[in-house]
Amino acid sequence: MSTYVLMKILESAPSRYDRGIRWLTLGGLDRAYERLTTYIKTGQKVLDVGCGTGALTILVAKKGAKVKGIDINPQMLEIAGERVKKMSLQKQVKLEEKGVAELESEKEESYDAVVSGLCFSELSEDELSFALKEINRILKPGGLILVADEVKPEAGLKRYLNWILRLPLAIVTWIVTQTTTRAVRGLPDKIREAGFEIRSTRYNRMHSFLELVGQKPGGKN
Amino acid sequence: MGWIQYILINVVETCLRMLPIPIRTGLIVLGNPGRNSPVILTCNFHLTVARVKWALRGIDAYLLVANSRGINVWCAATGGLFTNHDVISVLKTSGVEDLVDHRQVILPQLAATGIERKYVRKKTGWIVQWGPVDIKDLPAYLPRRKKTPAMRQVSFPAEQRFEMAVAWAFPISLVAGLILLPLWREGILPAVLLTWGLALIIFMAFPLYQRWLNPRSERIGFVLFDFGRGGVQLILLAGILLGLFAVAKYTGNFSGLFFARWGIMSTLVVLVLSLDLMGSTPLYKSGLHADRFLKVSLDTDKCKGAAFCEQVCPRNCYDVDHHRHLATQPRAHLCVQCGACIVQCPFDALYFESPDGATIAPEIIRKFKLNLMGKRLVKTVGRG
Ligand SMILES: C[S@@+](CC[C@H](N)C(=O)[O-])C[C@H]1O[C@@H](n2cnc3c(N)ncnc32)[C@H](O)[C@@H]1O
Ligand code: SF4
Ligand code: SF4
Repeated sequence: MSTYVLMKILESAPSRYDRGIRWLTLGGLDRAYERLTTYIKTGQKVLDVGCGTGALTILVAKKGAKVKGIDINPQMLEIAGERVKKMSLQKQVKLEEKGVAELESEKEESYDAVVSGLCFSELSEDELSFALKEINRILKPGGLILVADEVKPEAGLKRYLNWILRLPLAIVTWIVTQTTTRAVRGLPDKIREAGFEIRSTRYNRMHSFLELVGQKPGGKN
Repeated sequence: MGWIQYILINVVETCLRMLPIPIRTGLIVLGNPGRNSPVILTCNFHLTVARVKWALRGIDAYLLVANSRGINVWCAATGGLFTNHDVISVLKTSGVEDLVDHRQVILPQLAATGIERKYVRKKTGWIVQWGPVDIKDLPAYLPRRKKTPAMRQVSFPAEQRFEMAVAWAFPISLVAGLILLPLWREGILPAVLLTWGLALIIFMAFPLYQRWLNPRSERIGFVLFDFGRGGVQLILLAGILLGLFAVAKYTGNFSGLFFARWGIMSTLVVLVLSLDLMGSTPLYKSGLHADRFLKVSLDTDKCKGAAFCEQVCPRNCYDVDHHRHLATQPRAHLCVQCGACIVQCPFDALYFESPDGATIAPEIIRKFKLNLMGKRLVKTVGRG
């Protein structure tokens, strides 16, 4: 009953996924994660939304924080779990099969920081606004939201250039990973609307990749 | 959506049937629904959504479009691309909870291979009701939420066979045309006609040779003759060669080259078309992987006769004995190994068993879905 060709390609996705993503961002992603995780302090409680194979999760744990990684893809989590075990970080890392739509089960004001890498661009508009609202709820006052993701350039020319540049990349990405991502439009505004203050933003040259640090108002500082 | 637009969508997307065509997920309001109107959920394959909307013309309802990566319900759910999380996500984030007073959502029955009724209920409070297999039965199903056995079963009527023929013929003839373009231009038109003709013959004639198809055939992998004893392709090929012979005789074009070209071309087309013929129908498991040897076993001690299996089996394999509170499988030979019954049984009474006695537990099927192309991370466990 399956459509043979299609399924064959789709089936082996998760094992190739990780390599594909890293390769396609030419190492830029790892550098972005390094910079973002400098905000994490020892002993903090952190949530990684859409942790995938755990690249960001592990970096956070190495800073001495306690991390929970959530993702909807059990095969990704399986790989993440193996990596965590290999680095002997089981004590600090907890992985849970859970999507952003299930964030309601997380306690109010229970996290010092929420991190997310390349996950928001996989969410629908509805999911993203729901996720941001929930993240705001579960962060302690003064808690940080740290995001690295693909965004739509706002300026006209860059937008077209980016579209043209992205097209072959999008095709390759699809072939390698069978996921399509939709760069997020107006991410800083959306984060602001959800009740955060933007502490810093850093774009790549094309304005197509954003690292953002946001803060929930309140707290000591 | 007018008639013309609807027909156009159907034509174009049937040609492109093999490709995922995703549309925006979320809530679609149909007609003028109120706080007790039905909530119906479907996948985000564009053609499916168009058909659901068409079937529901004149009915007031909320339609939820969940992310299935632009793939049809059955393939996506069975392949692990349309999951609990996608359903939960659209229920929680689309805003539908603020619009209705009830918490009942109708899902396509074929999604039961991937979506767990129990899990969705636990996480959201929403109760999943399994709607009919065929979109066209939705209006008849809605008022009483009751399915006739026919509404639970997959079938392969002429209409669908035609669709599959087009879905195969279009891409194959396109590729064939592109390959021939630099090599042999005059060959393009005949190749295209040949492809369409053969595709139509193979699929439309399906009922004629269906009884010779052998789902338990030992051959696997690149199955040349997927037909058990029938060898329909052989007959087809013989017919084609005879035809070639006649044409050659008639036109006086009696050369080796002529035969080589046409012979090879028709062999290739027949081959590609029959590659996964059984898998292209909803009636058989794909002939290409070992899961088709699995059988669904029932642990009678665990079974409570809850009949979830009966509700979701697309081949109507089950009868539940309501006196003994026990499921029976009088039509087990029809099973397509979709896994729906195993996934849904609330008491874990069903599991897969392979011919050598190894078993696959329900939780493995739930977690990793079907072992498509033999790459499930966790293989069979234990011996029963
Ligand atoms: C591109 S991966 C990034 C993974 C990881 N952050 C990394 O850099 O390796 C995006 C992940 O988001 C997950 N994801 C997509 N939609 C999600 C949702 N609604 N809730 C949680 N995770 C989701 C996917 O399963 C996937 O693993
Ligand atoms: S096998 Fe499971 S679903 Fe079927 S009747 Fe028994 S308990 Fe119910
Ligand atoms: S008995 Fe076979 S066809 Fe029926 S639901 Fe179970 S696995 Fe699918």
